[in-house]
Amino acid sequence: MTNTPDDRGAELRELFFETSQELLQALNDQALALEKHPGDEEIVRAIRRAVHTLKGDSAACGLRELSELAHQFEDALSLESLAAPTVIAEIAFASADVFAEMIAAYQHGHKLPSTRKLSQRIQELTAAPSAGKARRGKKTERAAATPVHDAGWTEYEKLAMKRAQAGGLTVYHVVARIDPHCAMPIAARQLIQNALAGVGQVIATRPDAKSPAASKFVEFVLASTQAVEQISAKGRVPTIVEEVTIELMLAPAQAADPNSVPPGVSHEPPAPDGADHLASAPPATAAASESAVPSASLENILRVDAGRIDSVLNLVGELIIGKSMLQQALNEFSKRYPKELLRGKFADAMAFQARVLNDLQRSVMKIRMVPVDQLFRRFPRMVRDVSRQCGRDVELAVSGQETDLDKGILDAIAEPLTHMVRNAVSHGIETPEERQKLGKNPRGTVRLNAYHQGNQVVVEVADDGRGMDVQKIRAKAIELRLTTTEEAGRLSDTEILNFIFRPGFSTAEQITEVSGRGVGMDVVQSVLHRLKGSVSIETHPARGSTFRLKLPLTLAIIKALLFWVEQRLYAIPLNSVVEIARTVEAEVHQVDNYEVLQLRNQVLPVLRLGRKADADRNKKLFVLVILAGEKKYGLIADVLEGEEELVIKALDDQTFSTDLVSGASILGDGRVVLILNLPAVVEHVARLRPEEAGQSTSGLLLTHTDRARLAAGSAAGGTA
Amino acid sequence: MRTTPVRVLVVDDSALMRKLIPQMLAGDDLIEVVGTAMDGNFCLKKMEELKPNVVTLDLEMPGMNGIDTLKEIMRREPVPVIVFSSHSIEGAAVTMKALGLGAFDFVAKPKDASAHMAETAKELIAKVKAAAECRLRPHVRTLAPAKQAKAPAATATPTRIVAIGVSTGGPQAMEYLLSQLPADFPGTIVVVQHMPDGFTDMFARRLDEISSLSVKEARSGDLLLRGRVLICPGNRHMKVKRLPLGDVAVLNDEPRVNGHRPSVDVLMHSVADEFAGQAVGVLLTGMGDDGAEGMGVIKKQGGMTIAQSEDSCVVYGMPKAAIDRGYAIRVVSLDVMGATLQAICGRGTGSDPGTTGRALGAGH
Repeated sequence: MTNTPDDRGAELRELFFETSQELLQALNDQALALEKHPGDEEIVRAIRRAVHTLKGDSAACGLRELSELAHQFEDALSLESLAAPTVIAEIAFASADVFAEMIAAYQHGHKLPSTRKLSQRIQELTAAPSAGKARRGKKTERAAATPVHDAGWTEYEKLAMKRAQAGGLTVYHVVARIDPHCAMPIAARQLIQNALAGVGQVIATRPDAKSPAASKFVEFVLASTQAVEQISAKGRVPTIVEEVTIELMLAPAQAADPNSVPPGVSHEPPAPDGADHLASAPPATAAASESAVPSASLENILRVDAGRIDSVLNLVGELIIGKSMLQQALNEFSKRYPKELLRGKFADAMAFQARVLNDLQRSVMKIRMVPVDQLFRRFPRMVRDVSRQCGRDVELAVSGQETDLDKGILDAIAEPLTHMVRNAVSHGIETPEERQKLGKNPRGTVRLNAYHQGNQVVVEVADDGRGMDVQKIRAKAIELRLTTTEEAGRLSDTEILNFIFRPGFSTAEQITEVSGRGVGMDVVQSVLHRLKGSVSIETHPARGSTFRLKLPLTLAIIKALLFWVEQRLYAIPLNSVVEIARTVEAEVHQVDNYEVLQLRNQVLPVLRLGRKADADRNKKLFVLVILAGEKKYGLIADVLEGEEELVIKALDDQTFSTDLVSGASILGDGRVVLILNLPAVVEHVARLRPEEAGQSTSGLLLTHTDRARLAAGSAAGGTA
Repeated sequence: MRTTPVRVLVVDDSALMRKLIPQMLAGDDLIEVVGTAMDGNFCLKKMEELKPNVVTLDLEMPGMNGIDTLKEIMRREPVPVIVFSSHSIEGAAVTMKALGLGAFDFVAKPKDASAHMAETAKELIAKVKAAAECRLRPHVRTLAPAKQAKAPAATATPTRIVAIGVSTGGPQAMEYLLSQLPADFPGTIVVVQHMPDGFTDMFARRLDEISSLSVKEARSGDLLLRGRVLICPGNRHMKVKRLPLGDVAVLNDEPRVNGHRPSVDVLMHSVADEFAGQAVGVLLTGMGDDGAEGMGVIKKQGGMTIAQSEDSCVVYGMPKAAIDRGYAIRVVSLDVMGATLQAICGRGTGSDPGTTGRALGAGH
């Protein structure tokens, strides 16, 4: 405990801001569940538990407003006879929003949002169950300003009343409203009491002299033999009392016999008052039947700053480079001293080190992996809200939540995915009426799915809505001069669909509040390119569309294929390579200014990183058959270098302004290799006007000075 | 005393609390948090593995909740459990239930940790240490509510006034004591149990359920009736007052005494002042020394004073303070406390209690 309480407070708050997000998520999830299963007490309990923890945590952090509001909600949820469950769900949603706003406000030091509306709704929740309770609630609300009859006479006072009644006195309830102009209301209180003492016996006085209401009125229980008029006259002290009301509480007993009312019998037996509250405690056995058992992985969770993991990963990367260096040195050593016995020892040590390094790398990468559920679970609430906003009836089906993905990638696709889900709800799914007319289930489905595919993770957003109209997109593309009428006729449906990823492309008939804002599909695609992933579309008229995001497992290390083009070394992700073939320059044909290559029975568009085709028609070439999106291309390479694990070093924009290269890496011998951003390269080639073909691609090559700078930058980064 | 640290397992579903509670306990060298668990299942697993001396347990958890966890702990291999409770309707009720099931004590979840952490930490540390020292008795008592009809509100005035002061270990001791007293107990009982506000009402209701006497949380002006038990509400002081028509309890908000509100000393002083020789002071299990001086005053005024014996105390602090100062006339084990009180209160009025003699109400 070396740190000061202030530090600790700040640290706690930080932790709270972080953990509260999970609680809010749980609140949203449970509210959604409650909407689906109204009246499920188990869910109401789960909601209460989330609110409860939020209350406790925020109280511990001194966030009083939040904890009070949560407390209010929690207590309301504890009542057994709650109002309609749908109301609870509504309020839970509303509270999740208000809580989130409050937390954000605390976090950034902003002004807290108003909580009055929510607070009121929660109050209604408690008041609703029975009319009787509601009435009682109203009465106490007014209590501050108006006298409360019958409320809170103590046992002793009640005893005194009974005794007085038994003694032949009449018991009155006297309320004197103090003149608002009276200068000294507290003195007034005493004066009135003195006056009344003249006409009877004051048994009780309310409210407490210290209470704020004491300056407005004072009420007495008076036992007297006098008539109401006389008491009233006495009580109306000039300039002090504005108004006196007198009510009969107990008429005198017929036979005045003080002994007939012994002390103990004069009032109800103790304890039962308030016993009705006791019923509100739900049976404890019910709580025992909790079904939601968290998976074991939730336990022992260590919260670590992502930056720390990244630095470990970075170091692992450096180690991998070191391993390559060592391997190369060993190779040279072996060549130079083929007879040296030490070689074997070195090789053993190398193999051992390589294995451990491999494990280390895998473990570190696993640390960065999180289930996509972290992202997926945001969507139920969003789909609900969006579908309400635009009058759709949509169910969200989620599968594959447990699929792991690199945290960095997950964060990066959050916004694109949100956009796509919104689109699916607002554009994809038809209105319930439309759907009914088409003979579809009026309730549409948006499906989120994630799964592993080889070395990639696929995330799908599918809807069963109207699908996309290829003709409309074609027309729009021509209108926007993205293509010519002639060319458009040649393009496949998939190629046409890809136009929606172009900036500014939107066929939405109306820009709605929901989908008109935020990122567009062009941003979706650029994010995916940056991640070395891809996005593809599958659509069927009237049956819906599926957007498929393919993502690498991790951003940090890739298995790559290295190759040479015109004395320059390049790398592409190995998982995008379908096949490697040999060919000669003569096999490359010119069709409409596009180069194509026939490989067995398929024709592939050719991608060249270098300049034009070699004059030597017999020059031997390698063709790397790559898959970009749904299409295959033939990438021409002069020489293959081999396969290697590359630790990706991010390139900053100053070094590099093209998106054709997604990163660089340093090899064991210190050479720098550029990693191509294949989707961008493909797009770049495809976008070229025929007349430009063959020259622009060379623009992606670095000049030598660029390369030197890059190498210097990476070296500096490596030693840091 | 202890040389090895008390091994504590912290069980809470809130990640924040799993950080905060160990932080609070870190202030003491003789306490070591050996692990944390986020729900009951993990708690039981970790208990086998870590063998903690004390468990702090949140009652509101997903999966296996606090009450079930507590039952399971008590069933398997009882370890002192300190329950973390929150200020809410549910919270108080569940807390009382937990205490009934054998939880050692409870601590209210901290409010505004940065401001009051020191206070809460101090309380928690003291309770953890007391828990580690306590002899955990197997909890054999059945907790079925006493089904006997409550005595009709007594018409006779009570014979004597019994002021009970109790702190740590109190809920269990009080349950036991009150379950031992018959419905026709001739005295009246006023109790100060150190407990935060919001919990005493539930505490009183729970006692009322298991006792033949009428137990309620006191309100100002409540009558001290024969066979009635008034529990002082949390965060208020309770005094007694003799009035023309009967004797009443009076609550106030004066400052803390001995660091406590309610304070046993406040109650006992007032009982001694108002009732002199008719007063009976009882000091039960608890930390600290609140009530010792009050016992002295009762003794000096001619009343009876009884301290709970060490062997039956969860924490021997308060009774010991009174005994050490020579203020306890009798030292009695909890088992016979009920019988002792009955003998003392019954004896006051001779063979037929409640009719004549030194009855409380006599002369008014």
